[in-house]
Amino acid sequence: MKNATTSRRNFFKTAGMLAAGITVLPSNSIKGALLPYKISPVVKRHVRSVEGKWVPVVCWHDCGGRCALKALVVNNKILRVKSDDTHMDTPDYPQQRACLRGRSQRMQVCGPDRLKYPMRRKSWAPGGGDKSLRGKDEWVRISWDEALDIVVNELKRIKEEYGNESIFSPGGEIKRTLNLFGGCVDSWSNDSLGSWMGSGKQIGLYAKKPNNGFDWVGCIGDRMDMRNCQLVVMWGVNPAWSSPGSPTYNFLQVKKAGAKFIFIDPFYSSSAAILADDWYPVRPGTDHAMILGIMHTLLNEDNPVNNPLIDWDFLNRCTVGFDKYHMPEGADPSENFKDYLLGKNDGQPKDAEWAAEICGIPAARIKILAREIANTKKVALLTSWAPARVNNSDSWPQAFMTLGCMTGHIGESGRMTGTSIHIATGNGGPPLVYAGNTGLEEIPNQVGGGSNYTRGRPEEKLSIPGNQIWSAILTGEYTAGKDRNRKVDIRLMYLGGVTNMLGSREGQKKGFEAIKKPDFIVCHAHFLNTTAQYSDVVLPVTTQWERDGLLQDDGNREVIFLGSKAIEPLFESRDDMWIAKEIGARLGLDTRLIESATQAQQLYNSASGAMVIKDDGKGYEPLLTITEEDIKNIGVVGSPQKGRITFKELREKGVYQVPRSPNDNFRHIPLEDFRKDPVKNPLTTRSGKLEIHCSDLAEFVAAFGWSVIKPIPEYVQPIEGYEASFSDWKTKTKSKYPLQFYSVHYLRRAGSTYDNVSWLREAWPQEFFINPLDAEVRGINHGDTIKATSRHGTVIRRAHITSRIRPGVTSMGAGAWSELDEKLGVDNAGSSNMLAGDITTGQGTSGWNSCLLEVEKYGKELIPDHKWPARILFKNEIHE
Amino acid sequence: MNNKNQLGFYLDSGACIGCKACIIACKDKNDLPVNINWRRVIEYCGGSWNSEKGNFVPSGVYVYYLSVSCQHCESPPCLEACPSSAISKGDDGIVHIDQEKCIHDQSCLYACPYDAPQFGSDTARMSKCDMCADLRAIDKNPACVDACPLRALSWGKMDELREKYGNITAIDPLPDGSITSPSMILTPHRHTRLLSNGKGHVTDLPEKAPTEINGIGPNIIKQLK
Repeated sequence: MKNATTSRRNFFKTAGMLAAGITVLPSNSIKGALLPYKISPVVKRHVRSVEGKWVPVVCWHDCGGRCALKALVVNNKILRVKSDDTHMDTPDYPQQRACLRGRSQRMQVCGPDRLKYPMRRKSWAPGGGDKSLRGKDEWVRISWDEALDIVVNELKRIKEEYGNESIFSPGGEIKRTLNLFGGCVDSWSNDSLGSWMGSGKQIGLYAKKPNNGFDWVGCIGDRMDMRNCQLVVMWGVNPAWSSPGSPTYNFLQVKKAGAKFIFIDPFYSSSAAILADDWYPVRPGTDHAMILGIMHTLLNEDNPVNNPLIDWDFLNRCTVGFDKYHMPEGADPSENFKDYLLGKNDGQPKDAEWAAEICGIPAARIKILAREIANTKKVALLTSWAPARVNNSDSWPQAFMTLGCMTGHIGESGRMTGTSIHIATGNGGPPLVYAGNTGLEEIPNQVGGGSNYTRGRPEEKLSIPGNQIWSAILTGEYTAGKDRNRKVDIRLMYLGGVTNMLGSREGQKKGFEAIKKPDFIVCHAHFLNTTAQYSDVVLPVTTQWERDGLLQDDGNREVIFLGSKAIEPLFESRDDMWIAKEIGARLGLDTRLIESATQAQQLYNSASGAMVIKDDGKGYEPLLTITEEDIKNIGVVGSPQKGRITFKELREKGVYQVPRSPNDNFRHIPLEDFRKDPVKNPLTTRSGKLEIHCSDLAEFVAAFGWSVIKPIPEYVQPIEGYEASFSDWKTKTKSKYPLQFYSVHYLRRAGSTYDNVSWLREAWPQEFFINPLDAEVRGINHGDTIKATSRHGTVIRRAHITSRIRPGVTSMGAGAWSELDEKLGVDNAGSSNMLAGDITTGQGTSGWNSCLLEVEKYGKELIPDHKWPARILFKNEIHE
Repeated sequence: MNNKNQLGFYLDSGACIGCKACIIACKDKNDLPVNINWRRVIEYCGGSWNSEKGNFVPSGVYVYYLSVSCQHCESPPCLEACPSSAISKGDDGIVHIDQEKCIHDQSCLYACPYDAPQFGSDTARMSKCDMCADLRAIDKNPACVDACPLRALSWGKMDELREKYGNITAIDPLPDGSITSPSMILTPHRHTRLLSNGKGHVTDLPEKAPTEINGIGPNIIKQLK
């Protein structure tokens, strides 16, 4: 028996369990570190559950989830956290349980690497100093007065010498000050939504803006109606990684209710692990080709009498552009989708065989999938934004919608087609509870600005596309619409709002070059992230746990949160608004305009205006009862009101969740009325119908000035897509960069936030995923250090060899904080933006999922990330 | 032998997404630094790819996860192995390490087939899961159980868990349950027998000691005192 144990144990070890070997001192127990408590693994743990005060706090990151969190606070120190225990947990009315990141948040907020003081880099001098030292200079602690003076003097100097047109700021409270100061150059980007940003709205597959929510949350049904589905197609949807919190659990209920799940994804995801009945490992960026093959199969095999696969009634009544008999007004009849599918004009039918060569799914399998989708009565066709974060993907959303139209899986219970994403993952519909307007008035920007949706139209204001930021700084020019370039001379970058711009934009290698050019760079930061590292002056700001909160409704449609201040600001950190006002005052601006509503007023406004859906599902009623005493406690002038729950209760619990049951009145079945009577209930499109032929979309895309598309969803090869991995497509000769690469949401981070938390680094090592077949021919073993090189940059990482990723494809989590080796020009931390290029197509989409690279074994071993020293500055200073 | 009060964990492997929220909740609750993991998640993966008309098609690719801690075995080998008799089994079957008696020679670690006892050089003591004895004492669930976003973890008396969930205590790649009689009941992942068939691999990235660090690793900027 002993032997059996030993041998099993050895297998276990060599196979890769975490070896409990010699422990390196964890970064968070370094003497004198910021962490306001000492990690003592064994001795004191038994006191943790009983003492202290549980304060409801927010988890404020842009992950798409919103979960309940409470912090145990003793003497201004956070001892531990817990998640939702405000009500009993059932599948219909689930607790809003935090993911691993929320649960590690005290290690972030109170991490040893929290920035303590305002600081400037040592070689900085008015006008810039030696700018080449950005990123590697030493840091000098300075006073707030000195820091604010430096910033104000540089702002004044740049404005005087070059004008407001040379000041750049992408966001944050400081923008209010800069707007009052005469304005600044702005930035817009199309990074999250990909081509769904503009395409969804143009073709009609979006919801009318509900209340104060986003307009894309309503294009799929809610989680209760999803339980009526017989088949759920998850096209690039992996909530287990990209929407932690409740969504995957909600999908599990759909599976338990009997639905079959099909995953279409280059990776056998962790969502697939528990849900998938079938898997179609499509190549990244070829989804559009695959869906054309599906639709061609339907068209080819459909027989209304013997084998009805197509819902002609839906196509004829609710769409335009499918065939020449149903074209929108003024359109060329020969430019219909059916003829494109059949290859009438270009001689190439978009059949399953054609699609197979591109997307990597055998033709027979494509046909099986087509039949299954068409022959199943109740189907959810769900996709994330990921397949739309591809160069030249502007027609993909329209193609996805067209499959829904052909099969009629739209507008009925258990039948839906659209994006399952972010706060609306697996749970679409207008919010059931929402906060009131804070009352903070907007301050117009005279120099830059404009929302994403106005892009592509001639702009008088300066606003740089996100994927042209670095080239705009380097070349002094950016694209401002078709045939329209604009000059811009960025001299000062004010990166407020805790942005990590240098790590978050594609073409990062160019970013490292560009960041050395402006005269002055200042940022607000919690930590020395990539952006802070390359700034001249860094201003330490408080986290949301060190501030009073407002009502927060940017989670799933059923919840609203109110976080409270858990601890006093750490060290010398200050609120972003305090900094905005201090700088405003020094610039001689009216600070009452900058903070046009006080924090207390904003809280009162967001609380008194909060609404919750009535039980009958028709209309909203006030959420909160607010008493005279509440108003006095908040410290504002206002009038008491009656609502569903008391303000006090929300304060104490930190969360209100609308109870749900399978037969409640809060179902959401999008486009239901439209489907019943499209004439009486027209959409906002030009034709009032779902547009398979959409001139507005083609014009919308063309106006950006980068590329053009047809009004019907024709496939366009992505730049740096699969086809481009060959130097000769016919002979299938591979090019210098033969492997595809795409980046994913990774559980170590939300965006680039949390990347410094050692617990998360240990749990999720930022590995580089590669298939065994690709690894073998390159002599790469599991855990080996590899070097991945694209046209745009190089990273060093460790290989995670897995059959879960399809051959020819590689992947890595997005958002790692770079550790740039300037000499070798490589990033040891594996930031995916070092690999992705700053390529501009269509509506300015960040084409992160179209990228090519080569991988080779690298002869040295990489220290695991969680053993890297934390970026602790001024470590001998002890927190009082 | 059979202790009616024996407590144990339950894991529905079919619902586990391997997110590691349980690990982090455990670390938070118990103040554990990196390298000490009272709970661990194993990724078990298998399958291959076949060439078919120039395309690659997957053949039985699967992945499942197992969240494991101390199994509070009915026959704990750690207890027998400890030279200083620091390890004992309570009335509720929970295996304890007496911190005062522990001489940190790591015998328990070498004896345990689940890697449950963890060695921390800064504390010079062995430590491991006690199923959140302090939380249970005030009628709360262990931290990992309440943390699971998929509700895949549970706990209770082993007799009750067996009645509710059956008596499977090991699936690949865990050691045969007959070796130590672990106090954990599993609902196997749907691919456990169908596809895995003992041919899968633990695919968590192994941690290697660095042998050479030139040019690799953090390039932390210089800093002032």
